Amino acid sequence: MSEDPKIITFACNWCSYAGADLAGTSRLQYPPTIRIVRVMCSGMVNPAWILYAFRKGADGVVIAGCHPGDCHYMVGNYYAKKRYVLLKELLDFVGFEDERLKLLWASASEGKKFAEEMAKFTEEVRKLGKQEKLAKR
Amino acid sequence: MNQQVVEELKKICKDLLEKGEVDAVVAYRRKRNEPREVLTVVKSPDDVDSITLSPLSVNNPARLLYEIAGNYNRLAVVAKGCDAMAIRQLIIEGKLDREKLYIIGIACPGVVDYKKFAKAFKPSEVESVELVNGKLAVKLAGDVKEVSFEDFIFENCTYCSHPTPIEYDVLLGEAREPYEGFDDVSEFEKMSDEERWRYWENEFSLCIRCHACRSVCPLCYCTECLVDPTNLAVSPMTTAEEKAAYPRVLGRWVSASDNLVYHLVRVLHHAGRCAGCGECERACPMGLPLRKLERKLEKVVTEVFGFKPGEEIPFLSKLDILPEEG
Repeated sequence: MSEDPKIITFACNWCSYAGADLAGTSRLQYPPTIRIVRVMCSGMVNPAWILYAFRKGADGVVIAGCHPGDCHYMVGNYYAKKRYVLLKELLDFVGFEDERLKLLWASASEGKKFAEEMAKFTEEVRKLGKQEKLAKR
Repeated sequence: MNQQVVEELKKICKDLLEKGEVDAVVAYRRKRNEPREVLTVVKSPDDVDSITLSPLSVNNPARLLYEIAGNYNRLAVVAKGCDAMAIRQLIIEGKLDREKLYIIGIACPGVVDYKKFAKAFKPSEVESVELVNGKLAVKLAGDVKEVSFEDFIFENCTYCSHPTPIEYDVLLGEAREPYEGFDDVSEFEKMSDEERWRYWENEFSLCIRCHACRSVCPLCYCTECLVDPTNLAVSPMTTAEEKAAYPRVLGRWVSASDNLVYHLVRVLHHAGRCAGCGECERACPMGLPLRKLERKLEKVVTEVFGFKPGEEIPFLSKLDILPEEG
């Protein structure tokens, strides 16, 4: 692919965003293809937003939240997991590459893990190529 | 669904209305000059004769019930298997009061696909349609023609898992065999990714975003739809800034991919709630295979999450059922 993939990450304020912040302060290098949207909780992420991101041309979408049991709002990440599974199955059913959607549990101290997972996902999305099925042209 | 069941039904309705146990009965009646049936609200015991029941009683009374329940003290409703699922789901979600309903359950053998029916028979000549011994008996201008029910049955009914209502006060009729599993979905999933995408792109390029599917669905009762930017709850006092800043995930552009987003979001809101009545498919003017998407969601909800429709706690609220992997 001539240009870098565009990946939108919905990161929860308490864990994964802090983890991304830690990756930054530790000066860990990871691809600049990730655009982070801070949300209060991964349970806030609406499947309609994910589809909107794909409509706008995102090549990949990541939902990043706290580990199960560690959610700041107790159970938000459980809802996120449930919605993620439903959306992924449905996207696969209509023939859209569901590998473009990822769910990541990252805590505030896992800066290194965040950076590594993002780098790994960037390569996976790069292999899939530019997202054309839902992107508005 | 034959004369005997209809007579029993009329007797029950007349009893209920005469004794004042209910204020009105929501049932089916024939349209004038057409074999098709519509929903009707019968308030007086003298009008009970207009009530009918046949394989052409296709519509789901749950939506009508939800809209008029506030106007009556107690209502009786004629509900087939899928209708009872929708009513039960509305009760669980607090939209209907079980105490105020008298459900006349109909163990359903399946209903007729009117589009197929109207191609084979001239509607103005059809006097009545009955199901007798597994065959469809169509009475035309004095003559009775018997045809195979399988040729005319609504496709949705062939994979119905709840033909006997799960909630009723009295039960009439004989149900078909319930369908187990999701072979119809698995068959579709055998196609490759590209083939599936092309199939859905073709189908959704036909969608005109009339929102008929949403209008008839008993479970799409939101006053503000997430994927419809035209029906926001506004008043003359809403400022222009508010209206402009209102979050929008979908515009009004009608294209295959926008339509796909509309349908995916609509179907995702029905996870664990869909009654399987097929009203969406019946209402669609373009003949989209909307039930396929809902069936896939039913499959995920049942197989991945182990949820049974009609449980007390709604699927989207349950947190103790999570898939292991991922």
